[in-house]
Amino acid sequence: MSFPIYSHEKSRELFNRATKVIPSGVYGHLGPAEGNFIPVEDWPLFGEKAKGAYFWDVDGNRYIDYMCAYGPNILGYCDKDVDAAAIAQSKIGNCTTSPSYLMVELAETMVDTVNSADWAFFAKNGNDVTSLAVMTARNATKRKKIIFVNGFYHGVSPWTQKIDYPGVLPEDVANNLYVNWNDVEGLEKIIAENEGEIAAYIATPYLHGNYFDNQLPADGYWQKVRELCTEKGIILIVDDVRTGFRLDLAGSDHYYGFEADLICFCKAIANGWNVSCLCGKEFLKGAVSALSYTGSYWMSAVPFAAALANIKKMKALDIPKLLREKGVKVCNTLKAAAENNGFNLVISGEPQLFYLRIANDDNMMMHQEWIAECVKRGIFFAGHHNHFLNAALSDDDIRLTGEIADEAFKIVKANHPEAF
Amino acid sequence: MKDSKTLAYINMYAILGTLENLCELDPAASALLTNKKPISIGFEVKGGPSATITFKNGRCRMEQGVDDCTIKIPFGSCEKFNGMFDGTVTPIPTKGLTHINFLLKDFKALTDLLTKYLRATPEDLEDRDFFVRSTTLMLYAISVAIAQIGNNDEIGKFSADHIIDGEIKFSIKNGPATTIRCKDHRLLTIKRAPENPRAIMEFESIELARDLFGGKVNAVACIGEGKITMRGMINMIDNVNRILDRVALYLA
Repeated sequence: MSFPIYSHEKSRELFNRATKVIPSGVYGHLGPAEGNFIPVEDWPLFGEKAKGAYFWDVDGNRYIDYMCAYGPNILGYCDKDVDAAAIAQSKIGNCTTSPSYLMVELAETMVDTVNSADWAFFAKNGNDVTSLAVMTARNATKRKKIIFVNGFYHGVSPWTQKIDYPGVLPEDVANNLYVNWNDVEGLEKIIAENEGEIAAYIATPYLHGNYFDNQLPADGYWQKVRELCTEKGIILIVDDVRTGFRLDLAGSDHYYGFEADLICFCKAIANGWNVSCLCGKEFLKGAVSALSYTGSYWMSAVPFAAALANIKKMKALDIPKLLREKGVKVCNTLKAAAENNGFNLVISGEPQLFYLRIANDDNMMMHQEWIAECVKRGIFFAGHHNHFLNAALSDDDIRLTGEIADEAFKIVKANHPEAF
Repeated sequence: MKDSKTLAYINMYAILGTLENLCELDPAASALLTNKKPISIGFEVKGGPSATITFKNGRCRMEQGVDDCTIKIPFGSCEKFNGMFDGTVTPIPTKGLTHINFLLKDFKALTDLLTKYLRATPEDLEDRDFFVRSTTLMLYAISVAIAQIGNNDEIGKFSADHIIDGEIKFSIKNGPATTIRCKDHRLLTIKRAPENPRAIMEFESIELARDLFGGKVNAVACIGEGKITMRGMINMIDNVNRILDRVALYLA
C-alpha cells in the first residue's frame, strides 16, 4: 500500500510568525536546526495535541512518536492516572510559600526506588541537577577538575559546553578534562596527571551521543571506574537524565552493577510534568545542604503529585522490562524491513532507547532521506539522536511502523539505484 | 581572543590568496597583468606562513614557499606581516628591487581592487556584477579563513579536533562552491565543489549568502526557514560553523 504524504502549511505559517518574535523560531533540540529536520519541509514544526503513543501537529497529522518529547513521555502522553493526580493537586495548591508535604513523600519514594540514593533534591530540568551534582562534588572534595567522556551532553550551563561554543569563555571550561568512553587506561592516565585535583567523573550510563553508534559499557568498565573513583576520592556522578527509569527503576548504575555517588534524574520521572531530581549517598548530604541552590518553581506540588503517580505506575507495569520488550520488537521490525530492501540498518544502544543508522553510505544522507520519508508518513524518528519508547506503543503501532519503514526504504532505494 | 599567527595565515592565504580568484573574475584585474613579463612576489614571515604569488598571462597563482620568486619580502614577525594589511608597516623587499614598480603600481592596484570587493560599499553593491563578484570572493576568502583558523587558532583547533575525516561542501545554490577537506583534524580549503561530500551546507541564493557573511541574518533561523539546507554528517558542519563564528573575529 501507499501511505499518504503529510503537508505542513500551518506549521510553516506559525514558524514564520515565530521567527519574528522568538529567536530562530524554535530554539534548542525541538527546533529544526538542532533537531536536524532534513529537509525542513518534511517535518512538523508545532504540535497541537498528544495522547498515548501519538502526537498531532497543527496541520492535523498524526505521528507515532519515537522521540517521546526527547524522553519525558514514558507511560504515554496524557496518562490518565498521572494527569488525574496532577490535576487534583492543582486544585488544592501548587507553587506555595510553604512546600507541599508531597516533597517529602516523593523524596522517600526516590530513596526507596533508587538503589544508590540516601536523599533526593528536586529541581526542574536535567541541567539543574547535573550542575548541582558538580557543585556538590566540588564542595565535598574542595577540588576543581571534572572528568567528562568525549561525546558527552550534560546540559546547557557553560561548564557543560565546550570552549568553541558561542557565549562560552575558556575560563568556563578550564577545569574540564576529557577521556574516551570505555578507555580505562586513558582514565587512569588523566587521574595520575591530575592527582588530588579531580572532584568528579561524570558520565551517562552508556555513550549515547549524536551522529555515532551508541556504545554500551565494556565488561567491567563501570566497576573499574567505581574502583578508581573510590581509591582517589573522586565523586562518581551518573547522568541518568536520558536513560533514567527506562533501563532500571533502581537507576542505571544498578542496571550496570555499580553504585554512583550522585545520580541525576529528569525526563521520565513524572511523565511530562516538570521536575528533576538529584539523588546521592549519605556522605554527600552535608555537602549538598551547604550549597546556595534553589529556584522559584522547584518545590511546586503538582509535578510532585505527578511523579508519585508515575513512579507507582511504572513499578506496577515493570516499565524497564515492558519497554525493553517493545524496543526489541521495534528494532527487529525495522531490521527486517531494512534487510528486505537491501539496507544495512545499524541499531545500537539499549532497545528502549535505540539509535538508528543506515550504513550503506558514509555520510548519513541516505539515512536522512529514509528518516524524512518515515516522518512525512507519520512515524516520528530522529536522524541524529537515540529514540525513546513509551508504554502506550502498541503492537499495531509497531506493525504500522514496519510498513511505513518498508515503503520509505523502497523510495530511498529507488532514488539511489547506483547504491544497490 | 585572536592571535597574530592565525591572523598572518589568514592574511596570507585567505586575503592574498584570493587574488587568484580576483584575476579570474574581474577583467579589470586581469588587464593589469596582461602583456607583462611574468613576475612573482614571495612573502616570508618569520614564525608564520611563506608563500609566493606568481603573476603570468593575466592570471595569478599562489604556491607555498619563497624559493623561486622575483621579488622577496621578508617580515620579522607575524605582527609585522599583519601590519602590512592595516597600513602600519611598509614592506621592504630584499630581492628584486629592480621590479619595485610592479610592487608599487600593479600589485597595489590589485590589492586595492580586492579590498574594494571584500569591503564593499552599499553603493558599489548596487551593481549586480560587482555584487556577485564581491560575494563570490567573500565565499572564497571565508572558506580559506576557516581552514587557517582550524589549523592555527587554539579554539579553532579544538573545533577541528572534533571534525571527522571527509569533505564538506560549502556552496551557494546555482553559484560558487568550496570544499573544506578534513584529514586527521587538519583542514584544507579547495575552491571548488567536492565530488563526494560527507556534509553539505548550501545557501539558497547569493543574496542570502551576502546577508549571512555580513551578519544581517541568523544561520539557525535560516535553517528553519529552509534558506540554508544541510545534509550529511551535520556534526562536521556544526564544528565548521563554530570556526566560522571566529572568522568574523579575524576578518572584522
